[in-house]
Amino acid sequence: MFDTNKCIACQTCTLACKTTWTSGKGQEYMLWNNVETKPYGSYPLAYDLKLLEMLDGQQWNGAKYDGKTIFESAPAGERVLGWRPEQQDYAYPNVGEDDCAGQVDTGSFLSLPHMNWFFYLARICNHCTYPACLASCSRGSIYKRQEDGIVLVDQDRCRGYQECVRGCPYKKVFFNPMTGTSEKCIACFPKMEQGIQPQCFVNCIGKIRLAGYLSKPGEARADNPLDYLVHIKKIALPLFPQFGLEPNVYYIPPIHAPVSFNRQLFGPGAGAAMKAYRNAPNDMDLAALLCLFGSTEMVVSRFQRSGETITGSDEKGSPLVRVPMREPVHVRPAVDAANQLVRINCP
Amino acid sequence: MKHMNWKTAAAVAALLLAAACSKQVERTQEVVAIAAAQLPADPSDGAWAGAPEHAAKMIPQDLVEPRLMTPTTAEVRVRAVTNGSDIAFRLEWDDPDQSDTPGPSKMSDACAVQIPEKIEKDLPDPQMGKVGKLVQVTYWRADWQASVNGRGDTIRDLYPNATVDHYPFEAKPLEKGSEAQKEMAKRYAPARALGNVRSGPRSVPVEDLIATGPGTLSRGPSLGAKGKGVHAKQGWSVVISRKLPEGLGPNQRTNAAFAVWQGGQRESGSRKMRTGWIPLLRKGQ
Repeated sequence: MFDTNKCIACQTCTLACKTTWTSGKGQEYMLWNNVETKPYGSYPLAYDLKLLEMLDGQQWNGAKYDGKTIFESAPAGERVLGWRPEQQDYAYPNVGEDDCAGQVDTGSFLSLPHMNWFFYLARICNHCTYPACLASCSRGSIYKRQEDGIVLVDQDRCRGYQECVRGCPYKKVFFNPMTGTSEKCIACFPKMEQGIQPQCFVNCIGKIRLAGYLSKPGEARADNPLDYLVHIKKIALPLFPQFGLEPNVYYIPPIHAPVSFNRQLFGPGAGAAMKAYRNAPNDMDLAALLCLFGSTEMVVSRFQRSGETITGSDEKGSPLVRVPMREPVHVRPAVDAANQLVRINCP
Repeated sequence: MKHMNWKTAAAVAALLLAAACSKQVERTQEVVAIAAAQLPADPSDGAWAGAPEHAAKMIPQDLVEPRLMTPTTAEVRVRAVTNGSDIAFRLEWDDPDQSDTPGPSKMSDACAVQIPEKIEKDLPDPQMGKVGKLVQVTYWRADWQASVNGRGDTIRDLYPNATVDHYPFEAKPLEKGSEAQKEMAKRYAPARALGNVRSGPRSVPVEDLIATGPGTLSRGPSLGAKGKGVHAKQGWSVVISRKLPEGLGPNQRTNAAFAVWQGGQRESGSRKMRTGWIPLLRKGQ
């Protein structure tokens, strides 16, 4: 789960992933994790716009999607509606960075649809419930693990046909020209198997991320942080739900971006999610839960708020971390009267 | 008069030479493997001139998704030679674009020969066999050929202008070429670490595969596959050799099917042009 409101696009997550997994030959261009500035950023280039155009103006009817998923839109001979980026589409990993920002009260040089807002969208593999990469592979080289839902490319079985690259609407599978196989985010499964959150989660400076396991909608548990945010509060939403993959990265939409744009990215629930997030100061449980993000490297399965403290626990209920909702404030006057000193800030 | 005679003689000689050069290629309705003491390893070997040619019409693979919806390679011209233990095929097809550099959205030219594991009347499905009816596939790739021909194993060999600051496995104190360095490099190349034959530098541009239906292609027991492909203006000329099919005696028949991928047309995997089963006759004593 990613809280877009906290992301500052420092790319620490990108580098944490890069140095851990993709420092090999043929992986130079790969960013299993990237952070793009919306509305104009994208990696690879226009990965989202291209497919939205191919879907040709699909419509939501209130909370119901009247359009077709990429599986239902598959042309003859294909399993999914897809496309494959060209090499140059990977050449600009941070295109649109910080566009468009600032006030335009005195007039602007350019006239663009979104004049004075932007936000950062961190992206990894969504480990979808219905992965299009898996559906696209004619060899069955991609599998979704039953035990934790992580989607992996079998590096022994893959023959580098790049059908998964074509099929994934989020373009999170990458072809490695040196090994001749396709590679993707592995959700740091060696860590997750030990109950530790992935590298991009634990290295996040802005503490925007929280990893865990989501229950089925009918089995939501109120003390599961993810269930609470996704199923109960409905504050976190999937990216491009209309594609039909049920992506398992959930985003808390940016509250300063127009709701119309958020609806396009996160579906019809975006408006209510923004409202709920704005109301967090009056919603103690929600506010407490937001404080839990980035507070421990362990996977938190349960949470409990007591006053202004939230406790995160493992599956067995053993406490992992306690987080105060308000950090104590210490004021150090610029002039230390007792010692007759003027304090200065040292780096 | 003498002068005229010389001219006439020259003209007659030229005509005779032209006739010899344009000698009709013997075309057969099946693939006929002629006997020879030695297998030709090179597509330009003179031994191929003695082998008849079968021009196999190709059809798009359009049964299994993802399918090839637009036909590309119209035919593949096949000749075959056997030395009694191995068999060599020469496949030629038109493809002016040489595609032998791997990369995102870049596919490699390739071709393959498929033969049933057993000689029997009830043939496996021509599209990769079926359960209980195994087929042997010998597969050649243009990017492997480039590797065999000497292209290096660095990103700069694929992208000459690439710059890389640092690979962790090339940093001190690891010594260049040391076992410790190779071991660490494998951590960043899982397919190589697992021994995926698709991965890494090649000593031969072909591989031995088996299949029992679409999507089941996997490593097979070694049939001694060898190969060499040469690209000319018109297209590819590729030699693929392997062990003679088991039980195929002189003047006996089995079947073969062929497939061609044009990288420039983004063909790979099941997006390919293929033939049906074509009788393969081992000619000779």
